[in-house]
Amino acid sequence: MLAGLILGGMYALIAMGLTLQYGVARIMNLSYGEFLVAAAFVAHWLFTAFAVSPLLGLLVAAPAAFALNWAIYQVLLMPLVRRAKNRDTLEVDSILATFGLLFVVQGVSLVIFGGQYHSYSYLSIPLDILGSTVALNRLIALLFAAVFGLALYLALTRTRAGTALRAVAVDPVAAGLVAIDVRRASAFAFALGGALVAAGGVLISVFLTFNASMGVVFTMKALIVVILGGVGNMLGALVAGLVLGLVETTVARMVDPGLTLAANYALFLIVLLWRPTGLFGSPSR
Amino acid sequence: MASDGAVRESVALNPASVARGGFGLLLAAALIAFPLAASGYHLALGISVLSYAVLATAWALFSGPTRYISLATAAFFGIGAYTVAVLGERLPWPAVLAVAAVIGFVVALVVGLSTLRLAGIYFVIFSFGLAELVRQVVTWYEANVHHSVGRYVFVEVTQDMIYWQLLALAALVFLAGWLVARSRLGLALRVIGEDESAAEHCGIDTTRAKLAVFALSAVFMALTGAIMAPRWTYIDPVISFNAVTSFQTLIMALFGGAGRLYGPLLGVVPLVFLFEVLGANFPNTFSIFLGIVFMLIVYALPQGVVGLAARGLPRFRTTGAGARLAERLGGFIKEPAKRQASAGTGAELLAARGLSKAFGGLVAVNALDLSIRKGEIVGLIGPNGSGKTTALNLISGALRPDAGEIRFRGQPISGRKPHRIAQAGVARTFQLVRVLGSMSCAENVVAGLAFRSPRVWNGAAGREARSLLRRVGLEDKADAPAAQLTYVEQKRLELARALALRPEVLLLDEWLAGLNPSELNEGIALVRSLRDEGLSIVLVEHVMDAIRSLCDRCIAMNAGRKIGDGPPAAVLADREVVRAYLGDADA
Repeated sequence: MLAGLILGGMYALIAMGLTLQYGVARIMNLSYGEFLVAAAFVAHWLFTAFAVSPLLGLLVAAPAAFALNWAIYQVLLMPLVRRAKNRDTLEVDSILATFGLLFVVQGVSLVIFGGQYHSYSYLSIPLDILGSTVALNRLIALLFAAVFGLALYLALTRTRAGTALRAVAVDPVAAGLVAIDVRRASAFAFALGGALVAAGGVLISVFLTFNASMGVVFTMKALIVVILGGVGNMLGALVAGLVLGLVETTVARMVDPGLTLAANYALFLIVLLWRPTGLFGSPSR
Repeated sequence: MASDGAVRESVALNPASVARGGFGLLLAAALIAFPLAASGYHLALGISVLSYAVLATAWALFSGPTRYISLATAAFFGIGAYTVAVLGERLPWPAVLAVAAVIGFVVALVVGLSTLRLAGIYFVIFSFGLAELVRQVVTWYEANVHHSVGRYVFVEVTQDMIYWQLLALAALVFLAGWLVARSRLGLALRVIGEDESAAEHCGIDTTRAKLAVFALSAVFMALTGAIMAPRWTYIDPVISFNAVTSFQTLIMALFGGAGRLYGPLLGVVPLVFLFEVLGANFPNTFSIFLGIVFMLIVYALPQGVVGLAARGLPRFRTTGAGARLAERLGGFIKEPAKRQASAGTGAELLAARGLSKAFGGLVAVNALDLSIRKGEIVGLIGPNGSGKTTALNLISGALRPDAGEIRFRGQPISGRKPHRIAQAGVARTFQLVRVLGSMSCAENVVAGLAFRSPRVWNGAAGREARSLLRRVGLEDKADAPAAQLTYVEQKRLELARALALRPEVLLLDEWLAGLNPSELNEGIALVRSLRDEGLSIVLVEHVMDAIRSLCDRCIAMNAGRKIGDGPPAAVLADREVVRAYLGDADA
């Protein structure tokens, strides 16, 4: 139960980043999970080579990912944004471009870190909470995820910049009409999403074994959470992430750990057939 | 290439095409004889080219016209390959192929049924994970039921045989593509790719059309996987469901151009060689190169090689030429049968009772009753946001009502899909015009003709499309892409497309808005002439002159409710209607 919540919390955090990229910047980023794995590798490298705590590693990985994703948006995605006639063509183009990017990032990770599984031991002290045993590192990861999620939520709902992002998510054209620089807001949202996924990667690396080809799985899970929660909906992402984490842990325990993705997709389909715009998506007119 | 040549040969009429046909036959012979002369390495390359030619062409069969990007190639390829691994020894080879095709078909149907009804993006996401999903399920089955993951393939098939089987499959996939492109199904897919909502209102069963071609392309992919399987001596789920297969197929199809049948082939040939060279020289960094090549293609060649070559040429010239030829041969043009004029006195045709629709907390249409008789023009008026367009959307099936019932000719139609309502005889235009931009005007109208019942297709469709275009004054634009028309012309085109369905009730959503005075007069005359032919028309309109001069009856709405129903003069003078438009002070 607690394990499911922790996993779900991580999914929610990762999905929040993707919902920023897809909901605000309208970029369907298929290479998203690769950045998570890359950040996990950075944390691993900092820890094993320099004995830098992953929590300090966050301070390196997240800003670096922010800068990198900003650059990716400006250099790689801007031409597509300029060329796109409407939202649909941008969606298709961004899917294709980031599909290519996926292979590039994954290839680079493979070259640098190799194909084998990596993990390291940080604060793996067992704790007894509510009758189940949980490692301290997982709890810390969940705590940080909660802090990031809450901070993001408050920033989006309470600040001017956050309001601008939400306006662009609802209607980019109308947002432009009220003097919001839509492209800047989109680039910012894309970069912020990148920073979030990097933070997620660092946090996940403290308790999960990972390798260079795992990014795709995280991308898929994040996509599922985003769609289930309703695109652009932060609270929806949180709830959907938790539900997904719980379902996954239950299936892994009761049926077979190898069928988690199948369980995810089953959930995805059931929810969409029942509510085509996601659990909390607004009905479109 | 082989089938392309053979196909040309079959339609050859003049010496030039006979020569081309001869060349095609020679090429086909050379392709067939290739394994007899080639070395092992060259044969392997040939097999690689052929397998990707089938995969990429099959991919473009579905994703080209519909613009639904499928990332599921590896799933179907792997299903075929794994079927051979499991059944290869137990069944004769043709039976194994048949089973692979059937499994691919069934999986595509299940996946398509559950995702193709949803928005395109969900389909992409699902197809993205499908290979991984099937791999997990197969691995689970092997581990828990078969108790060993991975199998040896003991099928006695030579490399030459693999080559010939793939060549035959390639010929089949080209034939299938050629047939689909010339069928109503092919037109349906293109209309879906242009505008799915417009497609539904043309009477196209969009889900069925997408599903049929998706399943067809999956069958070819599964067969490719099955034929290729004996090249491995050992197969496990990781080998057979390799995402790189999806990726390379996509990249080759896009590089060549998915808009034409032979487009993917143009991408397959150079890229197979390029990947061969890259894979041999940079085995460790291969995927980086793959990604870079792919991104270059997306940025530099969004339409593929075909798009580069065909720039400036009309896109679908064959259909236009065919229609012209048919018109010349057809001799004379038959005008559509005139209906009996019976203005305003006919029987009730369309009736709605207690119709309601809410969006969240906003009740857009609230317990609306309306009734349309045969041969009358009914104006639907009301201030912005009063629910007029929502009411039209409920009638045309674009939205499902929350409550209430709609009957057309006594039959309930509420909650039916738009294409069924369109086929039954209720056609519409859209407030924001939805023409099929990259298709010609004639094709736009044919889209309305081809899916109604009884359908009109081939030469007859070309003739009737032209006669309908003449009706709305666009006869000289028949071969121009619809996107090049002015706004007013696009509205006329949309009307012609709606009329092509030969409806009994026509729903016009602000069709007269934005016209200048002389265009408005022409428009009014056109609508009136349609009524005189016996058509019933529902007119959502803000142009009060049009309402006064055209309508036999007028229904006023405010905040989702009906507040007036009667002769236009009376309704427009009603205190409540005036208050709804202008506020209390003027009432």
